[in-house]
Amino acid sequence: MEQLIIVVAVLPLISALLIQLFAGRIGRRIARVSVAATTLSFLLSSLLLWWALTGYGPHALPLGNGTAVLLYDPLSALLASIILGISLIVHLYSVRYMAEEAGYGQFFVLLDLMTAALLFMVIAGDLITLIIAWYLVGVLLYFLLGQDTRSQTAYRFAFWTLITYRIGDIPLILAAACLYNAYGTWSLTTIFAEIMANPDAHQVMGLPLTEVVAALIGLAAFARSAQFLLHTWLPYTMDGPTPVSALMHAGIVNAGGFLMNRFAPVFVHSGDVLNWIFIVGLITAVFGSLLMLTQNDIKKALGYSTMGQMGFMIMECGIGAFSLAIYHLFAHGVFKGTMFLSAGSVINDARQDDGIPKDELYTFAVEKRPDKVRQPWILMAAITLAVPLVILVFAHLLVAEDYFQKQGAIVLLFFGWVTGAQLIFATYRMRTQNIWRLVGLSVLSLVVVVLGYAVISHAFDLFLYPDPAFRAQLYSAATIDLLRFDLLVVVVTLIVVSGWVVTYYGEQVGYRRRQQTKHLWLNFYALISREFYVSDIYTRLTRMLLAISGRLNVWLRWL
Amino acid sequence: MLDSLIILLAGIFLPLFPLSMVFNAILDKITHSWLRLLLFIAWPLIGLFMVLDSNLVLPDWLLTLALATSALYALRLLTVREVNQWSGFLATSLWSLLWLAMMQETPPALLYAYAISMSLPLVLLVLLSAGLEQRYGAAYIGLYGGLARTIPRFTGVLVTVVMAAIATPLFPSFFIMLDMVVKTISATPLAATILLLIWLLWSWAGAHLIQGLIVGRTSIVKIADMEITTIGWYILVLLALVVGGIYLGGVIL
Repeated sequence: MEQLIIVVAVLPLISALLIQLFAGRIGRRIARVSVAATTLSFLLSSLLLWWALTGYGPHALPLGNGTAVLLYDPLSALLASIILGISLIVHLYSVRYMAEEAGYGQFFVLLDLMTAALLFMVIAGDLITLIIAWYLVGVLLYFLLGQDTRSQTAYRFAFWTLITYRIGDIPLILAAACLYNAYGTWSLTTIFAEIMANPDAHQVMGLPLTEVVAALIGLAAFARSAQFLLHTWLPYTMDGPTPVSALMHAGIVNAGGFLMNRFAPVFVHSGDVLNWIFIVGLITAVFGSLLMLTQNDIKKALGYSTMGQMGFMIMECGIGAFSLAIYHLFAHGVFKGTMFLSAGSVINDARQDDGIPKDELYTFAVEKRPDKVRQPWILMAAITLAVPLVILVFAHLLVAEDYFQKQGAIVLLFFGWVTGAQLIFATYRMRTQNIWRLVGLSVLSLVVVVLGYAVISHAFDLFLYPDPAFRAQLYSAATIDLLRFDLLVVVVTLIVVSGWVVTYYGEQVGYRRRQQTKHLWLNFYALISREFYVSDIYTRLTRMLLAISGRLNVWLRWL
Repeated sequence: MLDSLIILLAGIFLPLFPLSMVFNAILDKITHSWLRLLLFIAWPLIGLFMVLDSNLVLPDWLLTLALATSALYALRLLTVREVNQWSGFLATSLWSLLWLAMMQETPPALLYAYAISMSLPLVLLVLLSAGLEQRYGAAYIGLYGGLARTIPRFTGVLVTVVMAAIATPLFPSFFIMLDMVVKTISATPLAATILLLIWLLWSWAGAHLIQGLIVGRTSIVKIADMEITTIGWYILVLLALVVGGIYLGGVIL
């Protein structure tokens, strides 16, 4: 049965080959081949996922002389279905969307090859297949983003993507080489089994092998998932076709989360590496969200939104909630894919009718006519702080009683708390006459979201990591010293509570910025509007490198 | 003394800076395509034969010099715009790494296979360069552009050949590079990292070449695209390279 996974991965390859061979003869009808192959592949992957859900597997499938191995396990079955689901939607969308574009057949060839590369990446059971697929995803994305061969801009930013991805390949290959030298095999299952049995058996440059490999895998994931300092390609790659943007933001960029999950047995023994990963994820989430809020270009704002989400995903791995990162990857993929694919329709509809109902939200946001009726600020601040916390605590207790013994859960709770509080604060600021109705609706939506998130993520946890001992190991790997953690919790709680109280008070009394702080804020805004000068620094460094290259050529007389 | 002399001579054929300049000077002087092809195939084989036949014990400093040569030419490759010169610089960067493979005690038959599989994509590139010179009068990155729209079949082949030359999976150079990294990392992790950085520079230069040639508007002047039979030959060689790459990967990894 598990052999079906080979068929699932090979079908898009066959489709690509058929399109390449027959595109000239049957013209644009060739897209049907691609859609049919992806549909069939998706159906088969769904079947494989169903078997995995019923407890079938895991199985390793050796190919050829056994160096190449494909893996059928819960992670590969789930991700294969997600990839094919998103790919199928993108295929269907592209049939008409790309109809007027040149290189129609070539686009579907690339799309099929990309689907195959992504599939091989998630089902790779050995390091070589993983590296090949990982590498090819970057190359194929470069050509997909450069689909419009007339556009220098598209290729310029496709190049940024390619180079960042190639930078990310370096740590992955180094990690693979370290593992091969230590264990004498490329097979992931064998390597992981040996690591679980004896994690401290090998060292690299005097450091434990598992820590070095975990750090390298983390770096590879950072480049692929646009973490801070390796993020510049993501907001700028909007010149590619919309279906490619959808595929990239909904699928390809999530590869970092997949990679960290695949190497979860290494991360269990990675010392402080997970804590560093958490910090990088946190910085990315904050910077991504901050930059998103200050963009005046909606496409770049979407790019930075994805960056922020990727920060959250990596952060979740950093606190040991590996399966939550997969759920995040799936949820974000669906949400961002929908946004990209529906963008055209929304613009088209908006041209005919703005579709904005003349309700309380409209009068507040558009007509700037807030109602004067206000509730006591202290009451609203208390509700803002207490309600989300109560909902989150109960939702989490529902899925596991010992949930709060995990530090990762507490960290996530803080984020949920702040998000929920933000929702109620936004409601309060609207100054509606019927504040209780709006607050009630906000709380209800929060309950649905939190319950859904807690229950579904718990289900993901049970499916992807069925061994409770391993799950506990993952969380404890990300744990820090209890005293330090408790102190952090107290400090952050105080900051959150006092922050919201001051915000409510300021909102009530009418806050005025002083001249000096206004100046500071303006400087800060200038810094954000230049995106922290990261792209400028890279551009300068690139020019320097090219100048050195040119100078060397002149000195050496081009010989 | 004799060993040093052999290394010095071999350093011309398996390029070691500054002796590497000899190959590029000769390549620059040759204008005939077939002579260029011969040069690309024979040059590293002569070097390998010289070293392997003399049973030399290679000194450790060769590793540093070979890596430095490869890195130097990979870096210089970024600003090269003439396609033949580009092929020559990439060949220099690739072939100098054969010293590493020799120091890792790779069997002689495999070393010859490495040299041929590194050179073959460059041979194809030289042929394509001749095709560009025939059509446009020069094979020059960034001079005309728009090949993707003007001569799409030619472009498809060109892009694939460049991919093969810069060690993209599943071409042989990819597996050779992977093997070198694996064998180098345990003794000198820094050398392994430099190898990967050289590989990164090749990708950069490859993308620069592709963008400089294929991106842009369609030419107003009608240019003849590659004939189907010619494409067939190119595809055959490229397929052989892929199959050879997978086979080589199975043998060495």
